[in-house]
Amino acid sequence: MQVETTRFGSLEIEDDKVISMPEGILGFAERRFILLNPPNLGPFCWLQAVDNPNLAFVVTDVENLAYDCSYKLTEEECCALELGEDGKVIYLLIVNMAAEPQDITVNLRGPIVLNPDRLIARQLVMEGESYPLRHPFFQIRGN
Amino acid sequence: MLVLTRKNGEAVTVGDQIRIIVLDVKGNQVRLGVEAPSDMRIYREEIYLQVQEENRRAAQWNLADLENAVHKLDSHGKR
Repeated sequence: MQVETTRFGSLEIEDDKVISMPEGILGFAERRFILLNPPNLGPFCWLQAVDNPNLAFVVTDVENLAYDCSYKLTEEECCALELGEDGKVIYLLIVNMAAEPQDITVNLRGPIVLNPDRLIARQLVMEGESYPLRHPFFQIRGN
Repeated sequence: MLVLTRKNGEAVTVGDQIRIIVLDVKGNQVRLGVEAPSDMRIYREEIYLQVQEENRRAAQWNLADLENAVHKLDSHGKR
């Protein structure tokens, strides 16, 4: 399938690579995304809406951070993500880009949890001090 | 919207698993107690709105800034 993107032009994507987000990303109506991991982007991936060329987020795997951020899923969420017994998930953090690298932040309060086997994802909302909305990206990567 | 009037100590139930109790009323502040299944996520509304607004902000990025950030990582010798 052909996916049009504003930033990266037209992309040919296999149909079985489409991630379904039945509840979308808060504030946006789009429900289908693709996750792209170009080798030249380092720890950054790029989450592109399939049905809106202009809508894309820069995301990074929480594993890339030197920050102990533990997320726990509720039963209802495991069910919605169609997680099996030992279901593994990936937590993607939305990156807020900035012209100055030290101003780049990641959102620990609203991680996107992805079931990589079923390609179902959902944005969580975490209450509490340990999940800041804007955490400096370069700082938390350490050194 | 359903509107209900409650006094201190009175409650509202939502379905058979959620109970919201008025614990205290002081001036323009109300303290609520929420009884719900332990793994149900309950937030103050503004937390949702914050994440929504942050998402909107995050969607406004440009390629030059991303490339700049990657370059900075590279120049530190890490991928």
